[in-house]
Formats: sequence, structure tokens, C-alpha cells
Amino acid sequence: MDVFLQTIVAGVLKGGLYALIGIGMTLIMGVMGIINLAHGQLMMLAMYVTFVLSLMGVDPYIALFIAMPLLFMLGVAIQKFLLNPLIKAETILPENQVLMTVGIGMVLTEIVRFIFTSDYKSVTTTYSERTIFLGNISFSVALMIAFVIALAFTGVMFWFLLKTDLGRSIRATAQDKDAATLMGVNTGRITVITFGLGSGLVAAAGCLLAPVYYVFPDLGGPFTAKAFIITILGGLGSTVGAIFGGVTLGLAESLGATYFGMEYEDIVGLTIFILVLLFLPGGFKRLTKV
Amino acid sequence: MKGTVGKAFIVGAAILSLVMAASAGFAETVKVGVLLPLTGSQAKFGEIEKRSYEMATEEINAKGGVRGMKIELRFEDDTGKPDVGRSGVEKLISRDKVPVLTGGYSSSVTAAATPVAQQFKVPFVISTGSADDITEKGYDYIFRVNPPASEYPNAVKSFLQGVAKDVKTVALLYENSAFGQSSSKSFEKDCADLGLKIVVKEGYQAGAIDFKPVLTKVKAANPDMIYMVSYVMDASLLMRQSKELRINPKLFIGGGAGFTLPEFAKSAGTAAEGVYSATLWLETLPFPGAKEYYDNFKKKYGIETEYHGAEAYAAMQVVADALKRAKSLSPKDIRDALAATNMKTAFGPVKFVSYGKKTQQNKLDTYMVQWQKGELVAVWPKSVATKMYIYPTPHWDMRK
Repeated sequence: MDVFLQTIVAGVLKGGLYALIGIGMTLIMGVMGIINLAHGQLMMLAMYVTFVLSLMGVDPYIALFIAMPLLFMLGVAIQKFLLNPLIKAETILPENQVLMTVGIGMVLTEIVRFIFTSDYKSVTTTYSERTIFLGNISFSVALMIAFVIALAFTGVMFWFLLKTDLGRSIRATAQDKDAATLMGVNTGRITVITFGLGSGLVAAAGCLLAPVYYVFPDLGGPFTAKAFIITILGGLGSTVGAIFGGVTLGLAESLGATYFGMEYEDIVGLTIFILVLLFLPGGFKRLTKV
Repeated sequence: MKGTVGKAFIVGAAILSLVMAASAGFAETVKVGVLLPLTGSQAKFGEIEKRSYEMATEEINAKGGVRGMKIELRFEDDTGKPDVGRSGVEKLISRDKVPVLTGGYSSSVTAAATPVAQQFKVPFVISTGSADDITEKGYDYIFRVNPPASEYPNAVKSFLQGVAKDVKTVALLYENSAFGQSSSKSFEKDCADLGLKIVVKEGYQAGAIDFKPVLTKVKAANPDMIYMVSYVMDASLLMRQSKELRINPKLFIGGGAGFTLPEFAKSAGTAAEGVYSATLWLETLPFPGAKEYYDNFKKKYGIETEYHGAEAYAAMQVVADALKRAKSLSPKDIRDALAATNMKTAFGPVKFVSYGKKTQQNKLDTYMVQWQKGELVAVWPKSVATKMYIYPTPHWDMRK
């Protein structure tokens, strides 16, 4: 029983972090209809920001408030100067914005490798390995904080999208770009803000992941893939769906690791991915309708 | 007037011949192909090895090179992927026309790349790739400086027989890769020989965030010893999370690869304390040039090196030695010279022998080290130990 409970706890806590990684991607996907394949790389960049700040003695949770605005600005710049111009360009491939994000991801990785080399860096804090015991079940303090912050961010995003003017404009753009433009929404500006928000959110995930994981330049790729799975699980463009998607993936990986063997961790995640695509295209969004 | 023209002509001719002589001198280099992961998640080790190859080459060239020629290294990045490694070797052989190859970091890449060298009949001196079957195929152009994965835990075996006699049950965790599988399989056999019972055996994907599901299972089985075959950051997370879950075996042993690196201790922090690891090399070993290599590396690059670097450094020494002795610079003659290698390197004595199913394999001792107060010290066998081992590993809650 302890083994089962510990597995569930580990899965849900990891899922919270996954959700935060997924939200940014789902937002961008919903509004712009493209997959941002540099998503993991943006997170890697935020983790390096955290690492550099930690060398100066700044706590990762404070670094969050520096890394998020930084990555927001970078996201804005990427959308404004690299992605938006491509919409106007006439090419054979309609998905050249996606290809552009692949390129951006590579450039980010290599720039970081150039500056920091391929060495593994770690951001260790006093609470990196602190745990709370409830009976025989251990709760990692760092992951619990990450989980709470992930929930808080999702709540804020949800409120922001539903209640604020800007949020409504983003949703309108996501639903029908042409109609939104006709209604007076500056969709060009909305895409820029959305990409910034997505980057800022994944930066938060990076800052929260840094104390429990490690940093190296090639870390982005696997997390881009995870974010993609979460986005599909949750349903494109659904923030609440991303939370469900993240926790589902976390739980599936944990349960798979305990009861099938950890070497099949990725297989379990990808199997669920395929099952959802087959039987629930549209993801959990179809069930929750938000 | 005539005189000046004549003088100018002579001077011009002299300069021209000088330039030609110089360029001829530069053109005469021996190319050595090196296959390493320079990008990708293994790039960290590729970098240590690349620097060691470069350092060894500079030293050899400073002493006059081989046969009056300088050695020129041609690196090819395998990115940690077997298919890229194969095409890298093909490129080195057909485009750069190298007469000898070396390198080979990960077992998967090395296993895929060496058949190409064999097919083209160009000798390949493996520095690191350690899965057993690489030298079990009867290839006559493939040589290996480092011991195969199954021999990494030899020192661990003697430690278990000599000191940790009360260890009866074992949990075995390994990275699900060619190296991890090869090591875990052979360690399972070793356990059977020693009469130890394996209570948990789990593979995992490298780069995982959370090892708690697996570690929870380990905790429930309560083994006397945990043996882990992991690269550096997985190793550090495994130890950190073992501490979080308060898993208390008598021994934590790393089966080579990640547990000996300074990054491991830095990242794992106090969780690294008391962890043992099998290792292939230490700068304190009595090999000629071992200490010098370590010191020079640190001076030159400002970072510490470890056994992977020493393997690369020694592989270059072996290649240079063979190039000096070879009858000509044809791959065939270099191969014959390599086969007759019998020398002392910074990594230990190198002689390619055949035993069991293996051919052209170097036989070496292995050692056991332990992290004590943030320092990696040799503890076993006693002949090379610099400090006394701490056994059993103290209980997490009993530590200060």
C-alpha cells in the first residue's frame, strides 16, 4: 500500500510541473495554431538564468520573478521579429513558422553551449532534498512548492483568459482569427503577447524544475516532446486541460515505472498519447468543455 | 642593373624554396580520426576526451611527432547516436583518408561504428565504449584499451568477499542502454557467483526527473546493498532521492561511469557522502605519467579530469606508439604494429590479448573509490588505498 501511495504522490507532484510546462505550449498552439518546437529550449534558457542568478546567491524562487519577464520579452521578440514576418512570406510549406521554431531551438541550444559548455550544472538549495513525511510517504518540498505554484498560475491564467479584456481578445483570436480582426482586435499584437506569455510560463516551470533537476544545453528536446504530449492530452488551447494532461502524464509515468518497470516510462506516456488521439481526439477539453 | 636583377632573382628563388620547404613540412602530417560525442547529452564526456586527445597529441608533436611528422587529429561528432557514428567513421575513412581511428565513447555508438572500420580494414583503437560484445566479434582491426563493462566490478567483487561479507541481498538499478544492460547482466552473474540474492532489478530511462517509484520499490525490499549503473546526473538524482526516501542499505555502489565525476558530488551534495564507486583509473595510481596528465590537464583547462579522459589520453599514446613502430603508414601495417603493442601508459599497461570470447582486448585491474567528506579517495584494493573505507554506510538519520 505504501508503494502505491508513494507512486501516486510522486506522479501527481511531477504532474504539476508537467502541467506548467504544457500550459505555455497549449496557449501558443490555441492562438496561433502552431506547435512551438522551441518550447523546451526556452525552458532550458530560463534554467540557465536561474543557474546564473543562483551563483550570485539568488534563490530560484526569487529568480522566477526575473526569469519570467526576461523570457516574456524574448518570446515577444521572437514572435515579432522572427515568426510574424513569416506569415506574410509566400512559401510552398504553410508550416514554415513551425520550422522556424525548430531553428530557434537549435540556435538557443548552441548559444548556451557556446557560453556555458556542455557541462552539467546544478542549482542546489537547502530545500532541494528536504522532505516531509506523512506516515511512510515522503513529500518532496521543492516539488510541492512547484505543484502549488503551477496550480496558482493555471488559476490566474484561467481568470485572465475569461475575465480580462486582453484575455477575451486572446480567446477571440484563438476561436476565429479573421472574425476577431474584423471585430477590431489587433491580432498581430495578440500573437506577440501570447508567445510572450507562453515563454514566461515555461520560464516559471524552468525555475521550479532547476532545484530538483540539473541543467545542460541539450535538455530542451525531451521537454518539448513532453509539452507536446501534454498539450494533445489536455486539448489544444485549454489551460485547464493542460493541468489534467500534465497530471495524467505524471501519474501514468509513475504508475508505469512502479508496475511495469521504469525503462518503459516513456512508452507508457506515448501509449496514452496514441490512445487519446484514437479515442478522444481533442483531448480532455472534449470532456470538460473548457 | 643586371646585378640587381640577378640578386633579386636569387633572393626570390631562396624565398620560394623556403616557402615550398615549409609548406611541404606542414603537408606531411599523419591524420588520426577521432570519433566522439561533441554535442548531445554525452558532450560533457566527449569534451573531456577531446581535450585529452589534443593534450596527448600536443605533447607527442612537441617531442618531434612520429617519423618526423606531426600528428593531426580529425574529430568527427557522433552526437551520441549510432547511425551518426557510423557515417562519421565512413567520412573519416573515405574523405579524410585516415589510416587509423580512435575514440568511441558510448557503447551503442562504438558497437555500430566499429564494423565500418573493420569493413574498410582501418584499425580502430577504442578508448571508452565498453559493452562486452564489441570485442567478441573476432574483428581483427578493432582494439580496445579500456576493460569491458563486465570487468568494471572486479574490485567490487573482491571488496564484497574481503570486507562486506554480511551483504546478502542486492538491488540492481541500471540505465536502459547498451552499457547499462551489459553491466547489469554481468553483475547479475557475479552476484550468483558470490551467493547474493537480487531482490530488485530495474532499468530506467536516462534523464528521468523522478526515480521515486523505483526507489520506493527498493525501499520496500530493504536490500543490504544498492548497485547502480548510471551516468552522472542520473546518479546524482538517484542518491538525492534515496536520501529523501531514507533508504538505508549497508552499501551504495556505483558501477562506474557517473559516480566518480566532480559534478556528481557537487549536484548530490551531502547525499554523495559515503557512496562507493567502481573506477578504472585514479591519478594516484603508480602509472608513469598518470599524475602529470592529471596536473597538466587541470593547469591547461582549469577543470578536473577523470578516468574517461585518461582512457583517451592513453589511447592516443597507444596510437602514436604504433605509428612509430609500423613498417609503413598503411592501415594494414599500423594494425600489425597495434597488435604487437606492449607499453606503459598513463592509464596502465597496454597489451592486446585474446581471452574467453574476446580478441585484442587490453586487460586491466579495476579499483574502488569512496566519497569521504566531499573528496574521492581510493579505498580498495588495499595496495592502492589512500584512505580507510567507511563501512557500512552510515544511516541517513544518524548523519550530522
